[in-house]
Amino acid sequence: MAETATAAPKRSSSWRQFKAILRKDIVMELRTKEMLSSMTLYTLLTLVIYQIALSQSGSGFDIRLIAAGLVWLAFVFTSMLGLNRSLVHEKDQGCLEALLLAPVDRPVIFFAKAVGNLIFLLIVEVVTVPIFAVAFMSGRPIAGPFWMLVLSAFVGSLGIAGVGTFLATMAVNARGGSFILSVLFIPLMYPALLAAVAGSSAVVLGGEGYAATFWQAVGMGAGIDAIMLLAVFALYEFVVGA
Amino acid sequence: MAMDRNRLTFAAVVVGGLLTTVAFVLAFFVAAPVLANNTLTAGGGALIGGKLITNPVLFSQKIFFFHVPVAITSFVIFFFTAFYGVRFLMTKDKRFDTKARIATEITLVFVALTMITGDIWTRYEWGTWWVWEPRLTTYFIMMMLVIVYFVLRASIEDEERRAVYASAFGILAFLDAPLSFAITRIVPSGAHPVVLRAGGGLDAVQLGGFLIGLAGMLCFGYAIYQLRIREETAKERLEVLKASLEG
Repeated sequence: MAETATAAPKRSSSWRQFKAILRKDIVMELRTKEMLSSMTLYTLLTLVIYQIALSQSGSGFDIRLIAAGLVWLAFVFTSMLGLNRSLVHEKDQGCLEALLLAPVDRPVIFFAKAVGNLIFLLIVEVVTVPIFAVAFMSGRPIAGPFWMLVLSAFVGSLGIAGVGTFLATMAVNARGGSFILSVLFIPLMYPALLAAVAGSSAVVLGGEGYAATFWQAVGMGAGIDAIMLLAVFALYEFVVGA
Repeated sequence: MAMDRNRLTFAAVVVGGLLTTVAFVLAFFVAAPVLANNTLTAGGGALIGGKLITNPVLFSQKIFFFHVPVAITSFVIFFFTAFYGVRFLMTKDKRFDTKARIATEITLVFVALTMITGDIWTRYEWGTWWVWEPRLTTYFIMMMLVIVYFVLRASIEDEERRAVYASAFGILAFLDAPLSFAITRIVPSGAHPVVLRAGGGLDAVQLGGFLIGLAGMLCFGYAIYQLRIREETAKERLEVLKASLEG
């Protein structure tokens, strides 16, 4: 009886701490609009680069063959920008140290930061995909149902936000922060990104047995997410305090 | 204890040298050609990827006796990066970080050897230097992770923090190794041959030569690792002595 009485408030306070940190990030973003605006702008400029890259491809070129890969590329670039920012803020203003001094469990900090980054990334994705569709797909429909695309985007983004938050925490304390983040992030995320592109591409392209390919890719992506997230969750405690 | 280890290291060099030499002699003068993805047919051809190949089996397959042991050794040593990473995080003992770093260094040496021998074979057998094939890709990623490990270390000044970050990253990076190792079994459509498997068709001499080569390479890996550790320990002791003289 006494045990449950002490256990119950602790659990609720973890949840409250989580909400408090997440709310802090969201409120700050709503006031400054710094991360979302810079991430969206960066994605738009990435699309401009795509236009340059594809400018000589001619009208016969079917963009759908590489569409999923291009969109994921934009997500990867912009998420590295956002992830770096989200931790640089904490570092510059001494907020991370204050959080560590406060009686907050380290995993709670990780979850709150990762969920915040996931939310921002998903918002950017929601803005980017229609713009990409209008600018590049020129009326070509995607073969599979839309919810499949959403699912594969979510599975991929989950891994990006989780592992990315972990790596960004290391990168802000290293010399050449954003460079370090990208060199750590890309090879480590390779399997997850490959699964994400495979899943999304199957939906865009369709064709025989695309659903099987899709589920295989999404299943693999989810499996990789689970392994990676468990690993970074276990390691975060060491890294954030170091 | 230290004396024993020195003798063991010396023994590992000698045994490694002997075993790899024996393996090479077996590979080049005794063992029959190794047919990758093979099912021997009566006509002397081989089924490769479901197609009957009747070309004479190329001499280039002899690289199997070098390339595969080196690659397996790279996986084995990379495991110690993660292992000592975990040990470091558990104990915060600096020696484990040094061990993890040296293990990663040796991994890089063996990864480089694997890449070079693999590429020579690929150029000869497949006619191109590189294909983005599952095994090659995941192994390439593993090489990148090993290189990035040192980039990360170089970018952090604080010693304790460097050790913690490197340990954490080493553990995460090692997650790619089992994937790379197993990928030819997961994605059998890849071009990379899978010789070592049930019913893979290695005869006793081929298998013996391969295993001797593998044992030799593991001995070499161990010996280089121990020698580097010795060098590092001596260096650290020198620093301590220097500090005490200045002190």
